Amino acid sequence: MTISLFQCVLIGLWSGFCLAGMLFGIYTNRCLVMAAGVGLILGDLPTGLAMGAVGELAFMGFGVSQGGSVPPNPMGPGIVGTIIAITMKDSGIDVGSALALSFPFAVAFQFVITATYTFATTLTETAYKALDRKDFKGFRLAANATIWVFAAVGFLIGFGGAFSSEGLQKLISFIPGWLSTGLGVSGKMLPAIGFAMILNVMAKRELIPFVLLGYIAIAYLNLPVMGVAVLGTAVALMVFFHAGRGGDSFVEEVEVEFEDGI
Amino acid sequence: MVSNKLQKNDYIKTSLRAYFLQNGFNYGNYQGLGYANMLFPALRKMYKDDDDQLQAALKENLEFFNTNLHFVPFITSLHLVMLENNTPAKEIRSIKMALMGPLAGIGDSLAQFCLAPLFATIGASLAQDGMIMGPVLFFVAMNAILLAVKVLTGLWGYKLGTNIIASLSEKMEIISNIASMIGVTVISGLAVNFVKITTPIRYVANMPDNQQKIVAIQDMVDAIAPKLLPVLFTGLIFYLIKVKKWSTYKLVILTIVLGIALSVLQLIA
Repeated sequence: MTISLFQCVLIGLWSGFCLAGMLFGIYTNRCLVMAAGVGLILGDLPTGLAMGAVGELAFMGFGVSQGGSVPPNPMGPGIVGTIIAITMKDSGIDVGSALALSFPFAVAFQFVITATYTFATTLTETAYKALDRKDFKGFRLAANATIWVFAAVGFLIGFGGAFSSEGLQKLISFIPGWLSTGLGVSGKMLPAIGFAMILNVMAKRELIPFVLLGYIAIAYLNLPVMGVAVLGTAVALMVFFHAGRGGDSFVEEVEVEFEDGI
Repeated sequence: MVSNKLQKNDYIKTSLRAYFLQNGFNYGNYQGLGYANMLFPALRKMYKDDDDQLQAALKENLEFFNTNLHFVPFITSLHLVMLENNTPAKEIRSIKMALMGPLAGIGDSLAQFCLAPLFATIGASLAQDGMIMGPVLFFVAMNAILLAVKVLTGLWGYKLGTNIIASLSEKMEIISNIASMIGVTVISGLAVNFVKITTPIRYVANMPDNQQKIVAIQDMVDAIAPKLLPVLFTGLIFYLIKVKKWSTYKLVILTIVLGIALSVLQLIA
């Protein structure tokens, strides 16, 4: 499948917008959102959605890295990974392999962003100097510069990824069958990292019953996700309303009652 | 001079400028540039004809600043209220800096650790089923809630002044506690659903009556507990993060190498 120049530009604009959205805090720099957009632009929404789901779960934990470090960027799977998944669907690349193949890009983009933040450090100096001159326009220009750099960087990454997708395609066709199968298997395992990272941050000792609750609801009961959320809400509210008198022991009681109900 | 007084609208406008807090993000002063930029229109209005005062006020606020961008309106509103009441710059700064940390904590735990993972997992599972509602729901829900947070915290800061922070963080704690219970339930449920590891190993067993039976290891594993392999693998990764403090790079490399190696050996599929 070839990508027209118009589609390249659209993907570039979409990537620029999504990356800038990371600074706006509007949650566009997420695999789920980006992949759906690329899917729409390339006319293959189902693959875009599937890629978005797999990538989102794999990268979910990276969004919460602590200590101000920049995590691998979801543009890897969200933009490049989705382009790979859609254009190379016929050559045996599934979303799992596309996720694994796109990881180096995610790391590369991470470095680009770190570099942008580092160079942007000069902006403060520019702003001070502008204020010394009472040049308030200059001040505002400096205060909005990072976002424009982000939009430009996003555009270049999206456009470049789409434009050279044929080169990418050739490169990937050299990959032997066992490797792409293996990468597909790895791709299905990668979400474990995202889940483990997020659980590492969220799951305190007193939340262990909820870990079990989620496992039971899916593995044994096969509930749909909404059902799991409602079930979790119900138990959370019970704990909340009884927190005053039951304390910690109540959490366990709820869990026992629930297991009896199966 | 009446026109120089800030109205409620100015506070709401400043609160909405929280979207621009990171427009000048850099490693030097983080959100410092953005903070000054957020206040800019309000300060311009206050010091309408006085470029000197505007210059001084902006320069004062270019210093290092870093907090959660959904909760920052609380600080800016408070800041503007104090400015209008001629609070000394020194006091304003100490309050600004004192609030920065706690609000970053509350905001991050609400937005990043509760809301985002919750809606992301729900959205991803809808997307997995081929529904465009997945990404749409994620995007709309996140932004609707966070927009409300911005406006509300901005108005709270405006109305209630400094003494609110204690009771606010108490309420936030309850909300974020409930949200993390729901979040943990959904996430651990989906972990076993999305991490897919099965084993294709089979062997031929000789039955007592001279018949042969093909035994699949996967069936035996399922009999012990459903989705046991994904649970064990996620547990292993969790252990490596929590106890061994592995970096994500090492984890990703381990996973990819394991996946390729075990699939070449036909141990997992």
